[in-house]
Amino acid sequence: MTNGASAGMATDAPVCAVTDGCITCGDVAVALTVVDTAGADARCRDEQGREEIVATELVGVVGPGDRILVHAGVAIERLAGVK
Amino acid sequence: MTGMRFVDEFRDPELAQMLGTQITALVDPGRHYKIMEVCGGHTHTIYRYGVQDHLPENIELVHGPGCPVCVIPMGRVDDGIAIAERDGVILTCFGDMMRVPGGRGSFLEANAAGADIRMVYSPLDALRIARQNPDRQVVFYAIGFETTAPSTALTVLRAKQEGITNFSIFCNHVTIIPAIKAILDSPDLRLDAFLGPGHVSTVIGCRPYEFIPRDHGKPLVCAGFEPLDLLQSVYMIMQQLATGRAEVENQYGRVVHYDGNPTALAVLGDVFSLRPFFEWRGLGSISHSALQLSERYAEFDAELRYDLPGVRVADPKACQCGEVLKGVLKPWECKVFGTACTPETPIGTCMVSSEGACAAYYNYGQYAKQRIHLEV
Repeated sequence: MTNGASAGMATDAPVCAVTDGCITCGDVAVALTVVDTAGADARCRDEQGREEIVATELVGVVGPGDRILVHAGVAIERLAGVK
Repeated sequence: MTGMRFVDEFRDPELAQMLGTQITALVDPGRHYKIMEVCGGHTHTIYRYGVQDHLPENIELVHGPGCPVCVIPMGRVDDGIAIAERDGVILTCFGDMMRVPGGRGSFLEANAAGADIRMVYSPLDALRIARQNPDRQVVFYAIGFETTAPSTALTVLRAKQEGITNFSIFCNHVTIIPAIKAILDSPDLRLDAFLGPGHVSTVIGCRPYEFIPRDHGKPLVCAGFEPLDLLQSVYMIMQQLATGRAEVENQYGRVVHYDGNPTALAVLGDVFSLRPFFEWRGLGSISHSALQLSERYAEFDAELRYDLPGVRVADPKACQCGEVLKGVLKPWECKVFGTACTPETPIGTCMVSSEGACAAYYNYGQYAKQRIHLEV
């Protein structure tokens, strides 16, 4: 996966280019900022403005502005409050 | 060029040089140190950014088994192909899996022969494909350590909640602690310390590593993935070694809680159970080292839904991925590295994923560098 944020868009045809490494396969996670939420899903944005729909059940309730660590379309940790 | 917030400060070359100097000051010149980076993501960072170049020559970074693609045995690839060849099946998998060679070829080759195998970014994408294709059976080929297993577990929970019946999981998730134990028990390798896998630790926390200093007297530092994360982690390890300490420390505190993510752990405990045994490529069969769907979610278990070959396939004789995965051999010491085995035509899994040690060496020029050293 060349970029987790862009490749994880809620499109019908996800792509996974392996030339620069696959973030999923490489156990890489990306930090994203929550833009808004719909049920258990959150629309999130990275530093380049790319957006992705993320499942948030594993990190509790999130709101706009919260920063979360995302792996394979799922938030695995909240970034606020971790020292 | 605009800088990247939260990233640039972890790639500062002056700070890297300063850390390298501080690490050098802690080194005993008469001693050779071997530090294993467990995670394939760390291997990728080390070679992409030349982290080793900031370390004194007597600190050797040894690559561990933490690339999830690299530890998939060939027989499990063949099982995936057998599923994909069934009428009406769509097999989905992460990108790197497409080129992993099995005994009967790769997913990419199976696709060319008529199977329907699709790359996805998330298991949730596989579930969406199942919703969109109610007349097809959609199987997700799940791989990965504890970083990735929660996304599979969450997908199974959503599938059950929605009553989706044309979706299942071929589960190959593995757990990191038994692999570290296997390495510590290996007579082939003497290690001084470990760089712990940062994102796995996000889920499991740091506590599961406490047996390493307690029972084996070796430090472990949970490390982030930027170059300065790794250098600072090596510095923390060297401080421990220089003062005779052996502890679990957390360098990646901006992301990792010492106790991990309890919600994710609870979901993992609900959806999965431990397999009695699982074969790891290069490490052999390791007890209680992999996950399977628990009985509560058996309806989503592809291994119960389909009759699979389940045949153990021996690695090609020329391939020495096993020794590379255990850190016994450096990639360029493998007989076929860079000749018969390249990223374009991989023989072993370590050459497939860019997080694999062989591909990292090949792609970032360490091969040429080491050859020069050997020839001098």
